[in-house]
Amino acid sequence: MKISKRLLLLGLIAAALVMASLGAHPALAAGAAAGFDPKAVSDMTGFDPTKYENPSGEVVKIGVLAPFSGDAASVGQLYWATSAWVAADINKRGGIMVDGKKKKIALIKGDTMGKPATTKQAVEKLCLQDKVDVLWGTSGSHLTAIIQAEAAKYNKLHLNSHSLSDNLMEGKSFTPYTFQYIWPTYSVGNTLAKYYASRKERKFYILDQDYVFGHELAESFKAGLKQYVPDAQIVGEDYHPLFNKDFAPYLTKVKASGAEVIFTGDWMPDSSNLIKQSRQMGINTPIAGIFLDDINALIAVGPEGSKGMVFASQMLINYQDGIQAKWHEAWKTWPAPYNTALYEWLGSTTGSYVESLYWLLDVMQRAGATAPDKVIKAWEGDEWLGLIGEKLTMRACDHRVVRDTYVTEFVSPNKWYQDCAYLDQLVTIPAEFVTLAPPKDSERCK
Amino acid sequence: MKRHLLWLMAALAVLIVFPFIFGPLQTNLMVRFAIEALFAVSLNLLLSFTGLLSFGHALYFGVGAYGAALILTHLEGIPLVLAVLLSGLAAALVGLLLSPLLVRVRATAFTMLTLAFGQLLYVLCSKFREVTGGEDGIMGWTTPPLRLPGVFSLDVTQPLYIYFFALGLSGLGILAMWYFTKTPMGSVMISIRDNQKRVDYLGYQVVLTKAVIFCLSGFFAGLAGAIYAVFNNLVSVGGVLHIMVSFQPLMAILVGGIGTFFGPILGSGLLLMLEEATQAYPELAQMISGLIFIAVVLFLPGGAISFGARLRGWWQKRAYLRKAREIAA
Amino acid sequence: MSPELQMYLAQGIHGLAYGMLLFLVASGLTLIFGMMGILNIAHASFFMLSAYLCVTVLNATGSYWLSLFLAPLGVALLGVLVERFMLRRAQASGLGHIAELLLTLGIALVMAEAIKLTWGTEGLQVMAPRSLAGLVNIGGLEYPIYRLFIIGLSLVVLAVLSLVLYRTRLGTIVRAAVSDPDMVSVLGVNTRRVFMLVFGLGTWMAGVAGVAAAPILTVFPGLADQMGMDAFVVVVVGGFGSLFGALVAALFLGELNAYGIQFIPKLSPVLMFAFMALVLAFKPTGLFGDRE
Repeated sequence: MKISKRLLLLGLIAAALVMASLGAHPALAAGAAAGFDPKAVSDMTGFDPTKYENPSGEVVKIGVLAPFSGDAASVGQLYWATSAWVAADINKRGGIMVDGKKKKIALIKGDTMGKPATTKQAVEKLCLQDKVDVLWGTSGSHLTAIIQAEAAKYNKLHLNSHSLSDNLMEGKSFTPYTFQYIWPTYSVGNTLAKYYASRKERKFYILDQDYVFGHELAESFKAGLKQYVPDAQIVGEDYHPLFNKDFAPYLTKVKASGAEVIFTGDWMPDSSNLIKQSRQMGINTPIAGIFLDDINALIAVGPEGSKGMVFASQMLINYQDGIQAKWHEAWKTWPAPYNTALYEWLGSTTGSYVESLYWLLDVMQRAGATAPDKVIKAWEGDEWLGLIGEKLTMRACDHRVVRDTYVTEFVSPNKWYQDCAYLDQLVTIPAEFVTLAPPKDSERCK
Repeated sequence: MKRHLLWLMAALAVLIVFPFIFGPLQTNLMVRFAIEALFAVSLNLLLSFTGLLSFGHALYFGVGAYGAALILTHLEGIPLVLAVLLSGLAAALVGLLLSPLLVRVRATAFTMLTLAFGQLLYVLCSKFREVTGGEDGIMGWTTPPLRLPGVFSLDVTQPLYIYFFALGLSGLGILAMWYFTKTPMGSVMISIRDNQKRVDYLGYQVVLTKAVIFCLSGFFAGLAGAIYAVFNNLVSVGGVLHIMVSFQPLMAILVGGIGTFFGPILGSGLLLMLEEATQAYPELAQMISGLIFIAVVLFLPGGAISFGARLRGWWQKRAYLRKAREIAA
Repeated sequence: MSPELQMYLAQGIHGLAYGMLLFLVASGLTLIFGMMGILNIAHASFFMLSAYLCVTVLNATGSYWLSLFLAPLGVALLGVLVERFMLRRAQASGLGHIAELLLTLGIALVMAEAIKLTWGTEGLQVMAPRSLAGLVNIGGLEYPIYRLFIIGLSLVVLAVLSLVLYRTRLGTIVRAAVSDPDMVSVLGVNTRRVFMLVFGLGTWMAGVAGVAAAPILTVFPGLADQMGMDAFVVVVVGGFGSLFGALVAALFLGELNAYGIQFIPKLSPVLMFAFMALVLAFKPTGLFGDRE
């Protein structure tokens, strides 16, 4: 059964290859893709995520898998604002040309509630009942692993824009249906390590969440330091429980250690509480991480408390025109809950989510199809220019992205927010320093 | 009795044809129902029949689930049924180990002690990631087929076969527990609920009976956990050991009807249907369940199972009043 | 003072401050259980609601002190309504603890969703008032004033509560109503009103804790879950219904947390539950409890 499917896939791939070489797809034939032009975003005035409605008629269906209820509902809100934006934009442009006609985009929510069993059920509903074309999600590597397995089972495309785990695309976990757009943990650790190679700080304190991602990130950062900053010192290393309350005992240790940088992978609310409590305790040691852009926490500690923090991301928008301007203009009219500072600009998280969907739809258009095998074929090895004009390559054998990454130091004043320090100059870390090698045990990567 | 048998046969027939009529989506929902019903009935053995409120039943569910995951990952070639039964036994063993502490206490103290052990295992399993995989959990093992050598070999990763596997095991488990409540020991159990001291004075083995119940309840909760593991092909601390995993069957019992044997089964079904119905409005899901719990406690403390009786009572009362009025007129 | 000594001293004060915050959250819970026998799962939700109210009052008036006054009051009012119109009825349902459990769990779910609809899902931030911001020098150790304030606030609440319960006529009536409600109502006291008052007082204390914690933590929809379990552990370890027990347990767990992080950080989150299981295994009613 499995073998025959693979054979079929190979046959289709071969057929598509022939078609491509015959020039049936000029974009493919040309080698590098045209890419997405952020200035080409439609006029989005009047767009409001709370009023988004799916178009009627023949549509490309995207299943949005997120925690829409429960304690992490704020995450679901981010997913919704960004996916609704992309869908509305593409629909205003008339949709994408697939399967011989222009199709608009429809979004269907699947609530994971952050629980494995519910996630499985939600994926099955999206695949079997709603018959979506693509699954898009989700935070949490254990939930992503479920989606990944289910996507392969039901022959659905799956775009992972949210879960950073290194292992998802390796060994038995790999399936050709899943594409990992988001950077893996390895890249995060190495990006920050490489950044510090050209800086003077040498004493690092690792303070991370005590779960798989926290440990994985710390390991990658330590390995990166060993390679790029051999004289760096880890002066302390602690792992605190998720949703930690009191950071004071950790921070006291940090202070005593003489650390010059606190390295952390913490996300909200841990990241916010760490920032806030350290500044309250008069500890102004710079914090380096990837979820430090919680604007409410930055504003709480003010320009003084937030400056000097080091923020890394795979995608940082440092211009205020094009898509950024259109987003910002539209945002001014948004009602609650989207009227907050968090949504004021396309940040690293929202920007990434948006970019991943544009890429997906761009690939579909170039493949001229929604059928997974054709999209897979078109996406593998695809080179594409992203929101900030950066080059993205979808590595064919393990479906992970090869790209440059970015680091910035929060400064005040800046052009984004008055009440806190925020991103300014970007330091580009070239892809060759941060790209996770293809898995050795993979047949496809040999 | 004959009528009951007829109903039972009809229900059985419906369950057998169910997966052939409905799609895999509904079939999988039934699998979740089977798991949660078995879990809730096992807890109900403590709550409704022994009078003990546990806040830590996820402990047994989690041990069963992790047991199955670890066995299937590390012991290749083990028959599926054996793996699942061993997982249930592991949970029963935990019940046995804890029983010297648990038999001594009643009421709130029991509740708190179960909470403590449940939480302790939760944090321990989060900590020992080398074994449990922590938040990520254990996943991706190859589930062996359900086979009777020479007769059949069924791939339980297929919705159809996991359906019969889960429903069969769960049904047998529930039947076994029902049978237990009818045994002499089951009667002692109920008497403990009603008056533990008197049972003791009468010379019955309170401690032994309780220990047996903990093991039995633990075994079936563990069995439910093991089916969960096979069904999801993934076990993580958040999914099987979190405090909400302990609360879920409690809610099912109360919504279905506390103090009855079949109430929890009804309750599990109703809660799943509720979850399904609110999937379209995820932002309101918790609000709706919250309101329903409040409404049940305030207006229908007997649970859904008492609804029919209530309705009948209300109807009879109305008819009676009408008659009275007619006579008066 | 040597830097090392300073570090250990700082950990001690951290443990004290966090312990006192824990006590503030847990005291209302233990009061309600001890006096009324009600297991209030929604206790931490009242705590969370108060933190949100604190954000609103602060945004409207800019006064932390006003929110410290108003937010707990609002929460207590809600508590009184919940007791009057729901808990009373649940207790009459004859289901015992399980009815209260499910009811208060339902209330917790509804409150969490209502909070999300009102304030949104994002993490909100409150900072300590200017008069309490900054550091104070304790023998060479720079320590945040706000954390000292939490210790002071908890002590004041503890003192007021003890005075009311053990030194006033009202306290006598409350304690009498608890041990024998029938006898007290025969004496002409409205015991129902007494219970309403106790529940209101308990939720008020959760409210005070909510405002006290807001400047340290992030005010987000998971705040109740974040704090609830710790408060529960304090109550259980201290002994259900024992205020003194809650104080001892909170301080012990606070110090266990701080010094646990200092010396055995790998095990620190396990310590709390291990300690709880240990205490209960030897004394099922908790350290200072006498009710089962």
